[in-house]
Amino acid sequence: MKMPPQRLFQMALFAYPREFRYEYGKQMEQFFRDCYRAEKMNRGRLGVGGLWLRTILDLARAAPREHLENLGKDNPIMKNLGKNALALLGSIVLIVIAFLLLSYGRKHEISTILIFGRTLDALTTAGIVGNLIIFLLMAITRLNPLRIALWTLLVVNGALLLVTIAVGSKVDPSFSLGGVMLGYVVSFLFWFSLHWIWSKASGPRPVSNES
Amino acid sequence: MVKKQIDPEALLPLRPSVFHILMALSDGDLHGYGIMQEVAEHTDGQIKLGPGTLYGAIKRLLSERLIVEADERPDPELDDERRRYYRLTDFGQKVLRAEVQRISKMVSVAQRKRLIPKTRS
Repeated sequence: MKMPPQRLFQMALFAYPREFRYEYGKQMEQFFRDCYRAEKMNRGRLGVGGLWLRTILDLARAAPREHLENLGKDNPIMKNLGKNALALLGSIVLIVIAFLLLSYGRKHEISTILIFGRTLDALTTAGIVGNLIIFLLMAITRLNPLRIALWTLLVVNGALLLVTIAVGSKVDPSFSLGGVMLGYVVSFLFWFSLHWIWSKASGPRPVSNES
Repeated sequence: MVKKQIDPEALLPLRPSVFHILMALSDGDLHGYGIMQEVAEHTDGQIKLGPGTLYGAIKRLLSERLIVEADERPDPELDDERRRYYRLTDFGQKVLRAEVQRISKMVSVAQRKRLIPKTRS
């Protein structure tokens, strides 16, 4: 059975997001109908072939763009993708600096650098793990973001402190309980302050209209 | 609520498809297919807007208030009244002018550098 071109085009429209189809689908069908009629009349089969080729190429370009735009519209994670990527890059840089400082401190037995390095260690480890959990919780729940940040950072910093005490005291000859504790206290205060500033800057979370 | 006016320059440079759509609408209200025909004519058939590109651009132009849907419909006997017509807003006109000025400045530079011949006015 031969499928009419209009029907084929209607099916191709399913590649676009639903909202876009709903708003512009009928107009796009009309547009295609006009183009098809003109090409068939003026250039025959060759024109119709060219029209289909242009339409498919256009679909391959425009449909992903509309989907991406749709994703970014309501999704805070997609909206802040650039900022999150920058934060991740910053965290990696901090890990590298901490690693270099710790190596230097160990080699030359400089305790202040070791404490500084431990603080950076705590900041980056708790930062990556904690913020990942915070962002996930913020994306899937409607809980207060500041409350999520407070409890997640408390639990993550506390858990990492316990692990470091348990493992570090056995494997690290220069282990100091005070230095490690100081690191995680600084880490908790730093990350929580950042979330507090962020929550003040972004204002109250919008209430969803969906019931 | 008073909407903050955006500086037209802030939207420059325009994407080629957007520039041609605004240029097509500068002569008067047009529907989607009419815009495509006008753009093809302006560009000697080099740019033939596809439906996704055209209506994607229209969606963005409507949200940025560079164009609006025209209230007045043409004579239903002459045209299909289900078609939607689009009109350039005052702000859209300002943005288009700013883009044309930007391009004409570039053309002047190219003429000074003798990359293209000078046009006689």
